[in-house]
Amino acid sequence: MNSLYRPKPVTVRKIVIENEAKDIKTFELVFLSKEDRERFKFTCGQFAMLSVLGAGESPIGIASSPLDDEYLQFTVKRYPTGVLTTALHSLEEGSRIGVRGPYGNFYPLETETMEGKNILMVGGGFAFTTLRSTIRYLLHEKNRSRFKDITVLYGARSPGELIYKSELKEWEERGGITMYITVDKGDENWEGRVGLVPNVLKEVAPSSENTVTLICGPPIMLKYTMLPLLDLGFSPEKIFTSLERRMSCGIGKCGRCNIGSKYVCKDGPVFTYREIGELPEEAL
Amino acid sequence: MPENEKQLREVAEKLLIDKKVDLIIGYEKGTLPLRTRPTFIREPEETKRLVWNSRCENNLSFYLKTVKEKVGIVAKGCDSRSIVGLIKESQVKREDIFIIGVPCPGIIDKKKIEDILDGRELLEGVESDSQILLKAEGFEETLDQDKLLHASCRSCRHRNPVLYDTLMGKEISQPQTDEYSDVEEFASKQDNERWAYFNDETSRCIRCYACRNVCPACYCPQCFVDQSLPTWFDRTPHLSDTLIFHIIRTLHTAGRCVNCGACSRVCPMNVELRMLNKKTEKDVKELYGYEAGTDLEELPPMATFKIDDPQEFIK
Amino acid sequence: MKEKIIKKEQLGRWLEKLGKEYEIWAPVKKNGLVFFHPIKSAKEIYFNFLNSKKTPKDLFFPQSEVLFSFPKEEVEKEAETILPKSRIIFAIRPCDAKSLALLDQVFDSEDYRDPYYVERREGTLLVGMACTHPQTSCFCTSMRGGPFEKNCLDLLMVELGDDKYLVEAVTQTGKDLIGKDDPFEDAQGKDRERLAKVKKETEEKVKSKVVMEGLEEKLDKIFDSPFWDRIHQRCLGCAICTYLCSTCHCFALLDEKVNSGVQRVRSWDSCMFPGFTLEASGHNPRISNRERMRQRVMHKFNYFVKNFGETACVGCGRCIQNCPVNIDIREIIEEIKNE
Repeated sequence: MNSLYRPKPVTVRKIVIENEAKDIKTFELVFLSKEDRERFKFTCGQFAMLSVLGAGESPIGIASSPLDDEYLQFTVKRYPTGVLTTALHSLEEGSRIGVRGPYGNFYPLETETMEGKNILMVGGGFAFTTLRSTIRYLLHEKNRSRFKDITVLYGARSPGELIYKSELKEWEERGGITMYITVDKGDENWEGRVGLVPNVLKEVAPSSENTVTLICGPPIMLKYTMLPLLDLGFSPEKIFTSLERRMSCGIGKCGRCNIGSKYVCKDGPVFTYREIGELPEEAL
Repeated sequence: MPENEKQLREVAEKLLIDKKVDLIIGYEKGTLPLRTRPTFIREPEETKRLVWNSRCENNLSFYLKTVKEKVGIVAKGCDSRSIVGLIKESQVKREDIFIIGVPCPGIIDKKKIEDILDGRELLEGVESDSQILLKAEGFEETLDQDKLLHASCRSCRHRNPVLYDTLMGKEISQPQTDEYSDVEEFASKQDNERWAYFNDETSRCIRCYACRNVCPACYCPQCFVDQSLPTWFDRTPHLSDTLIFHIIRTLHTAGRCVNCGACSRVCPMNVELRMLNKKTEKDVKELYGYEAGTDLEELPPMATFKIDDPQEFIK
Repeated sequence: MKEKIIKKEQLGRWLEKLGKEYEIWAPVKKNGLVFFHPIKSAKEIYFNFLNSKKTPKDLFFPQSEVLFSFPKEEVEKEAETILPKSRIIFAIRPCDAKSLALLDQVFDSEDYRDPYYVERREGTLLVGMACTHPQTSCFCTSMRGGPFEKNCLDLLMVELGDDKYLVEAVTQTGKDLIGKDDPFEDAQGKDRERLAKVKKETEEKVKSKVVMEGLEEKLDKIFDSPFWDRIHQRCLGCAICTYLCSTCHCFALLDEKVNSGVQRVRSWDSCMFPGFTLEASGHNPRISNRERMRQRVMHKFNYFVKNFGETACVGCGRCIQNCPVNIDIREIIEEIKNE
């Protein structure tokens, strides 16, 4: 029967270890069936349920760009008590897992909210995944001309914990995008910026005029970065963030991921700062 | 009983006024006929809500696991033994609680009343002395409370609290009971008959965990059931997984269970697994000469080792 | 169809005929519990019941079901059809039937239709039995329902006196269950008079009234109030209220290993469990019983209303009857109004 909950089979083509602590890996997945690949049309900001048979499922944000035709990429952090993340990290290249999706709403890139505007992206730690998807998408020659200035501020706890290192370097060196990379604490080889993301934001003070902000990070970073953003004149309707909750079905039926009357899987995960303010307190 | 109730309210009020405790945990009238329920009282004038009757069925001591204030707690015989257990296992400090002991001749089992009413709803129950008048639609009958006692009350050997700071009324008489006759009778059945009984009972279990949550002896911050790495057994109510849950819980509470019966009273599906707990209680008594909740010093046998512990099973 | 009358002694004949085409589920009593079970003859039915212990939502949304399974060889097995035979649920109470309308909003929504639920729903007919003995914990009339409500039913039966039932068809499917040769007679004027009298008397018997007006708005205002510190104190944090509730629908998707491979199972879960919202990082947005109790009340009386326009409660009273510490939702609503 046409199962709503059945994942589509994919092969793990490549696994890249992203950080020094070796607990963040990017999985490159290829659908077994061409039909499944064609049906999986997604937009930046959406997530999918990754499924390892015997372990279960988890919602993971899609890290590859919608224009990366052949494959999907997901960056997953392993938690010691996480059944699925532990199972994923013990896989080898060539393994077979399942993907179900895409689910959720997305950054409104194709609407007048964002087209023709300056885009500021602020990311912290390993929550940078859907922003990476967005950057790849925006920088693609098909899309770049539709947006004005693109600025990215990305911070991690230490240089070893920065993810997508090769891409960060590539973006720093190319034109069409301004990168500010920072770490909370440097090491003996680090020559770049040192400072917490909210502080660097205040230092850099990007202009809020005609700008839409996408911000992703751990709850504590979001809390301390919102205020400087508002101070700089960014309006709450134009600040988009991605919320996280434990999920089971991903389609708004199992009742688990709600914040107030909104389901993070269906009405989110992308919410504006204004929308978050209207949710009952438990949001952040 | 009514005098005890009056005294209870006075004592509780005084405790709050004198600030000897910040909180009184007792029983109050419920919203359904013949129901009482736990209540939390912090203001002296609210103590008139307190009641004491033969329907005070909850074992209040399990709340001691979570409250942080100085507490005055109403305790029956079985409840006081649970409190002794919690003190011994360092879950609560003796000086943080004030035990208001109440002698208890037994609690009426509402499931027995349901059986008698056979589909009618109980509209009113009036207690008097040792009897109770039950009223339902087209039904009115006075019964001896003795006939309606909960099974664990029938074999109770501690009608008076074993530990208390003050006692309501006087100690009541303790009749001799043949505590383990029901267990012995059950144990004498064929093993396939006993196995069939446990499977049948367990088949109704819906894994609501009310039995575990209401038990004063179950206070693990993370129960083995909720662990995901490793997942010890499945969450779904397969018969084998459900039976394992109950068996393991019985083993974890072996030597610590005081047979208060709260677990079987709260079960919505009438799952009756007290026989398992009673059997382990009997075994612990015979093997180690230990009874849960009677001595503040002696540690539970499953938590200690003595050189002369029985060892016939090691062959 | 005009109302019909069937004598109690003839009921068995009619059910036997229906039993050839349908699997009939009716209330039976065992181990002191009343629950719905397939029956072969009317003799097995326990008519004296107030309401079943577990709700009939089990029959559409079972406590656990295998969604699909993967044998070790990794060749997918297609799930078999769920219902081998169409079913009739006989003597379902109007409140439980109405709860299905609420569950439909969740499982049979425009964007995603849950095939497991939908197949069961479409393959099941509901023959309701009006309540002539509502309980003191029933408050269906306050929740836009009532002991004689026809919402979601195919037929409604009403006990008229000791010897007969009056039967009303609500849908064409229900009407088709009554064949020409079945032992029914047309209802007479005096039967209809009797019906009206019994209906009025019964509705008056539902004494428990809960005023729902303004509740949603009030809940919006008191989300952060210390009110919630008070009401959750007694709560054990078990799942009785959620598992026995006609409209609770939270579930988990779990992988279970069996001898032949792996099964993905959908299983009931409860927002009252601490691990319900626990994330792998260790963060739990609903860290204590206070937040979880608040979530339950808000979901039923505020969030569901915002999303679907109706309260997720039919007033069946099972949570009140079965809560080990007698937490009473009617009291909670009263206290909310008075905050």
